Amino acid sequence: MMRIFKVLLVALVFVYLYAPIVVLVVNSFNKSKYGYKWSGFSWKWYEKLLANDTLLTAFTHSATIALLAATAAALIGTLMALAIYRYRFRFKRAASSALFVVMMSPDIVLAITFLVLFVALGMQLGFWTLLLAHITFCLPFVVITVYAQLKGFDTHLIEAAQDLGASEWHTFRTILLPLLLPSVLAGWLLSFTLSLDDVIISSFVTGPDYDVLPIRVFSMVKVGVSPEVNVLATLLLAISVISLIIFSLLVRRKVT
Amino acid sequence: MKNWIRLLATTVIMAPLAAMAGGKVVVYNWSEYIPEDTIERFTAETGIEVVYATYESNETMYSKLQLQKNAGYDVVVPSTYYVAKMAKEKMIQPLQKELLPNLKHLDSALLNKEYDPQNNYSIPYFWGSTGLGVNTSEMDISTIHSWKQLWEPQYKGQLLLMDDVREVFHVALVLNGHSPNTTNPDEIKQAYELLKKLMPNVLLFNSDAPREPYMAGDVNFGMIWNGEVMMAQEEDDAIQYVYPDEGAVFWVDSFAIPAGASNVKEAHAFINFMMQPEIAKSCVEYVGYATPNKTAIAMLDKELRDNPVIFPPQSVIEKGEFQSDVGEAIEIYNNYWQQLKVGQ
Amino acid sequence: MSRPDFGQVLSFRQLVITLTLGWLTLMVIAPHALVIMTSFMTPDTEHLAVWPLSLESYSKVLQPIYFDVFFHSLWLSAVATLVCLLIGYPFAYILAKQPPWLRAVLLVLMMVPFWTNSLIRTYAIKLILGKKGLINSLLVSTGIIEQPITMLYTEFAVIVGLVYVLLPFMVLPLIASFEKLSADLSEASKDLGANAAQRFIHIVLPLTAPGIIAGCLIVFLPAMGMFYVADLLGGAKNLLLGNVIKNQFLVVRDWPFGSAFSITLIVMMAAMLWLYVLANRFVQRRGGLDDENL
Repeated sequence: MMRIFKVLLVALVFVYLYAPIVVLVVNSFNKSKYGYKWSGFSWKWYEKLLANDTLLTAFTHSATIALLAATAAALIGTLMALAIYRYRFRFKRAASSALFVVMMSPDIVLAITFLVLFVALGMQLGFWTLLLAHITFCLPFVVITVYAQLKGFDTHLIEAAQDLGASEWHTFRTILLPLLLPSVLAGWLLSFTLSLDDVIISSFVTGPDYDVLPIRVFSMVKVGVSPEVNVLATLLLAISVISLIIFSLLVRRKVT
Repeated sequence: MKNWIRLLATTVIMAPLAAMAGGKVVVYNWSEYIPEDTIERFTAETGIEVVYATYESNETMYSKLQLQKNAGYDVVVPSTYYVAKMAKEKMIQPLQKELLPNLKHLDSALLNKEYDPQNNYSIPYFWGSTGLGVNTSEMDISTIHSWKQLWEPQYKGQLLLMDDVREVFHVALVLNGHSPNTTNPDEIKQAYELLKKLMPNVLLFNSDAPREPYMAGDVNFGMIWNGEVMMAQEEDDAIQYVYPDEGAVFWVDSFAIPAGASNVKEAHAFINFMMQPEIAKSCVEYVGYATPNKTAIAMLDKELRDNPVIFPPQSVIEKGEFQSDVGEAIEIYNNYWQQLKVGQ
Repeated sequence: MSRPDFGQVLSFRQLVITLTLGWLTLMVIAPHALVIMTSFMTPDTEHLAVWPLSLESYSKVLQPIYFDVFFHSLWLSAVATLVCLLIGYPFAYILAKQPPWLRAVLLVLMMVPFWTNSLIRTYAIKLILGKKGLINSLLVSTGIIEQPITMLYTEFAVIVGLVYVLLPFMVLPLIASFEKLSADLSEASKDLGANAAQRFIHIVLPLTAPGIIAGCLIVFLPAMGMFYVADLLGGAKNLLLGNVIKNQFLVVRDWPFGSAFSITLIVMMAAMLWLYVLANRFVQRRGGLDDENL
C-alpha cells in the first residue's frame, strides 16, 4: 500500500515536470500554427527558426555575455575567495556580507540596484552594463565553491612553498590555481548557466543595441503562442540532454 | 593560455565596435506591427542594418527612452497623445522633410492634426480603432452592440481589456457622457468608479497580442483592436469585430525620431521607406490596420479596401473620437489605473 | 626567479584585496546605498528623483491599496512555497531512501527540464492550463467535466507556474538533510517503542528542519520577484512584488516609491535570514541535547 503510494507520488511529480515539456516538443513538429490540435508533421518551424536573424543575433549576444561574464566571474571570484581565505584586512566582514547579500537577494532587487547605479553614473545601457551586472551576480557562486575547496586545503603546502621562497603570485599561479581548478571550473559552469538563463536582471540593464535571448523570448511568448518558441525549447532541451550524455560517458570512462 | 586571453580581450573590445560598423538604424516599434519581411527588404534596398526591438505600451516606450536619455533608439512609434507630450518635453526631434519625399503619398486628412501641427515631429504610420471583440462560435454577435454590455454580470471573470490606461478610461468616460480626452479630475474619478464595477468581469489585460486569448478560446468577449481581428481571421473566421454604438476609440500611431538618436539620416531613410506605397500596402495586408497612404489604398484589393473592419464607414468615424494629449492629467489617470489593476 | 621579493608580496596581496573591496563597493554597496537614498527622495517625472528628502514613499507603501498588493503578492509566493514543500518533502524523502544509482538517475531526470530557459518553461505551463489546453482537453474528452474550466490568468495559474519553476530548489536541500538523517536513528527509536507519528514529529521533522527552512527560503525569495510568471500566467492582474517594482521603475517612473518597495523587501529578507540562523542554532542545540540523552 505504502509502496504504491510512493511510486504514485514520484510518478505524478514527473508527469507534472514533463507534461508541459512534452507538449512543447510535440507542438514544435505540428503543422498548425496554433497548436491546439494536431494537423500533421512538419519541419517548417525549424526552418523558420534558423532563418530568424533577430533570434540568432540575440542568441549570439547571450552566449557572448555568458562566456565573458562566467570567465571574468571565475577569475575575480577566485581572487576574492583567496583574499577572504588567506588575508586579514579591514572590512573583510563587510566584503563577505556583501557577497552574501548578492547571493540571497531576489533578482528583482539586484536588478533595480544595478539600474539605479548605471543611471546615476550616466552609463548608456547595453553591452557593458549587462556584462558588469552579470559578473557581479555570478561572483558569490564562484567565491563559495572556491572557498569551500580552499578550506579543505593543507595550509602547510602553501607555507612550505613560501618557505622555499616562492612569491605570493608565484604560489598562487603554480600551486593554488592548479589545485583549485575543479572548483573554479564548477563556479564557471554555474555562472555560465545563471547568466544564460537570467531574464529579470537583463531586462533592466540592457539597452536596445544588445538584445539577449531571454528578453527576445519574453517578447515572443508575451505576444502569444509561437511555434518558433517550441522549436527553440526543443533545441535547448536536446543540447542539454546530449551534453549530459557526453558528460556522463566521459566520467564513466575516467572511473573505469 | 596567453593566446586565449588575447582572444578574449579582442572579443570584449570588438563586440560593441563591430555593431557600430556600417549604417544601422535602431527601430523601437509596437509588437507585431510590421510584416516579417519588411526589414529584410529595407536592408536589401538601402544596405542599412536594422536593430528591431518592441514594446507593448506607450508608457514602456517613453520610460525606456527616458532612461536612455532619448538616445539608443532611432525610430519610435508613439500614439497621438504621446507625440504631443514627447515633442513638448523635447524628447523627439523635428523631422527633415526634404529626406521624406514619399510624404506626398499620404492623405492630407490625416496630416496636420492638433497633436502635431504641420507634422513637424511625426509621420502617421497606421490608424485604427479599439472596439468589441467577439468569438461568434461561442456567442451570438447580433446581440452585441454596446460598451455597456461589458458590465453585464453574466461575463464574470471572462473579459479581456486592453492593457492601456487611456483606452480603458475612454470607454468609461464616453459611457458617462464625458469627453474621452477630459482633464477634469471629477470626471476621471467618476470613470474610475464605473470601471471599478467592471473589474470583477475582467479575466486579463493584454496589449501585446489581444487576439491570442480569443484564438486560444480563453476569452470570447472584450476589447480588441481592429487590426488584431484582421490577423485573427486569417486563422479563425469566428473572431469578429463590433463598433460599439457609443463610438469606438480611434488612435494614430506615428513614426518619430528621438532627440538623441545617433543615426538620424538612416532613421529618415527608414520612415521614407515605410511610406513607399508598395510597402505601406503590404503593411495593411499583414497587420490589418488602416494606412494613411492614399496611393497604397488605391492599390489594395477591393475586398480589403471595402472591409469596414479596416476602413470604417464615415458614420462610424464621426461617432468615435480620436485620442489627444491630456497633459498633466495623465498622472491622475495613471494613479487610478494602478489602483484598478491591483484592487483585487 | 623565485627569490622572496617583499614588494611583490605586498603588491599581489594589495591587488587582491583592492579588487575585492573595490568591486564590491562599486557594484554592491554603492548601488544599495543609492537605492536607499532614492527611496527617501521626491519623485519627479523628468529627473526620476529629486530633493528634498521625504518619507512620503514609505507612507505610500503603507497606504491600504499598496499594502493589500504587498500582502497579496506575499501570499501568492507563500502559497507557492508551501505547495513546493508539500510536494517536495515526501518526494525528497522517497528519493533519499533509494539506492544511490536510482537516486542519481531520478535527480538527473528532475533537473533535465530545468536546463531549458525558465521563461520557456513558464510558457509551457500556459499550453497546459488554457481552455483548449492539455488538462481541459483531457477532462472534457473523458467526460469528467462538460465545460472547460478557467485556469489560465488566475491566481491558480501563477501558483502552478511558480511551483513548476522552483520545485527543484526545494527538493535539493531536503534530500541533503534526509541523507544526513541516519537510518540507525529511526531504527533505534523504533526499538524504543516509538510509533511512526512520534518518530516523525520528534526525530525526523526537527532534524530535517534546516533543510526545510533552507528550501523555503530559496523558493520564497525568488518567488516574490518573478514578474514574468505573473505577466504570462496571471493576465497582468495577479501581481507579484516583482511586477509592482518593475512597474514603478519602468512604467510609472516613480523611482522613490519603487525603491521604498525594494527596501521593504530587503528588510523582510534580512528578517527571514535572521530567523533561519536562529532556527539553525536551535536545531543544533537540540541535536546536541538528544545526543546526550542517547
